[in-house]
Amino acid sequence: MTPELVLSSVGCVLLCYTLGRYNRALTLQRWQFVLNAPEREAIESLRQRMSVDSALARQALEAADRARESNRVPDALTVLHVALSTLEEAGADRLTRLRAMGIYSRMVRAIQPLPPPAPAPFRDPGLRATASLAGLAYRFLVGTQERFRLWLLFLGLGVRIVLRGGRRLASEAGRQPDRARPWDLFARGLSDFEALDTSHLAALEALAASLAAVDRGGRLRLWDRIAGDAR
Amino acid sequence: MSELQVVLAHAVKLALVAVLAGLFVRGRARLCWSFAAYAVAILAGNVVASLWPAGFHTPSFWVLKQGVYDALKMVVALELAWRAFEAFPGAMRTARVAVLALLVLSTVALGALTPPSSYMTLWEWQPGVATAALWLLTATALLVVWYQVPVHDWQRAIMLGLAPYLLVFVTLLGLLERRGWAARSQLGILDSAAYLALATFWAWAVWRRDPAPPVPGGVRP
Repeated sequence: MTPELVLSSVGCVLLCYTLGRYNRALTLQRWQFVLNAPEREAIESLRQRMSVDSALARQALEAADRARESNRVPDALTVLHVALSTLEEAGADRLTRLRAMGIYSRMVRAIQPLPPPAPAPFRDPGLRATASLAGLAYRFLVGTQERFRLWLLFLGLGVRIVLRGGRRLASEAGRQPDRARPWDLFARGLSDFEALDTSHLAALEALAASLAAVDRGGRLRLWDRIAGDAR
Repeated sequence: MSELQVVLAHAVKLALVAVLAGLFVRGRARLCWSFAAYAVAILAGNVVASLWPAGFHTPSFWVLKQGVYDALKMVVALELAWRAFEAFPGAMRTARVAVLALLVLSTVALGALTPPSSYMTLWEWQPGVATAALWLLTATALLVVWYQVPVHDWQRAIMLGLAPYLLVFVTLLGLLERRGWAARSQLGILDSAAYLALATFWAWAVWRRDPAPPVPGGVRP
């Protein structure tokens, strides 16, 4: 095996893998979205969705608490699982959006800066440690693009930490329904999820503001060049 | 030239004519003008070497035509990168750095580590040149996907075809070095067959109709 053969093989595999998966129609759709910059409607509908998710999960948790206080343990556990499934669905939605935001952030030249991640809004020790680490890493990154992607990474990790904790606590509550600890920790996880949602919204607002910063005349010209084949 | 090599050379000729016709009939030459020049050069080299083997199927002509093909392959890779990122200044900046780094690295490697190019030692310098061209294409492909830059299906087909062929070419040169000139004829046939597959793929890609175009009016001013 010569070095040239190794290098050629690696290069060829990389090229075939990346271009083989490349989808021009999807790329054009993404650019159409970027150049339309539907900032206001998108943020408003996400804000509403987040408050509905949060209200549903809170209501379910409160109902579970009430059932537990009146010694209806099976009912309490059922409603606790409803709260967990609300969080699971909301978490899947957040993770999908974070992935999409990661792609769009690479397509936008200048991303609006966000403050460094901080542990203050979170209560779970794991999440606080992750936020502290992300805040530290943030200071070592120079570009706003990289800092934005660090935020997305942190938010994704945060959602996963909360969901994993929620699942563990729900099964712990099922095993020992008399103990208050899993119920308190579940409530703490829910408030962490809400804090993550606030940051999620802030990140989307920053991305939308960056998309809107592309000048309007430039958007049309860029679209003509992207979609047209007259190059 | 063996009979089989002549047959393969004629088949490659036909496929290249189909590619060139498709380039102009379908209006795809403007997506990469240097590719049209590359196809014309390959066709011309093929025609003279297969029709007048006494004068053109010679080591000196092989080195000359290979030099032209190599230069044109590099230009094709550079033009594809330029056309992909021209409208995207952020991606263009990164692409410029990546391409410059690759060109400097490959020039230093070829200049310092390989002997002067001659037909008798072609396995010592040709793999490096082919690898450099392949990596220029790979860098463009990686940046296209990273920045989600739209490239035309024909530009994608040029890259998707050329890269595997270059890998086959480098492999065959390695085999030639190991087995010596006695294997030249068989390896030449394999190379011609691989190039025929490439030219056929390009002919299919260049004649293929585009899917329904997106609606440009979809973008709000």
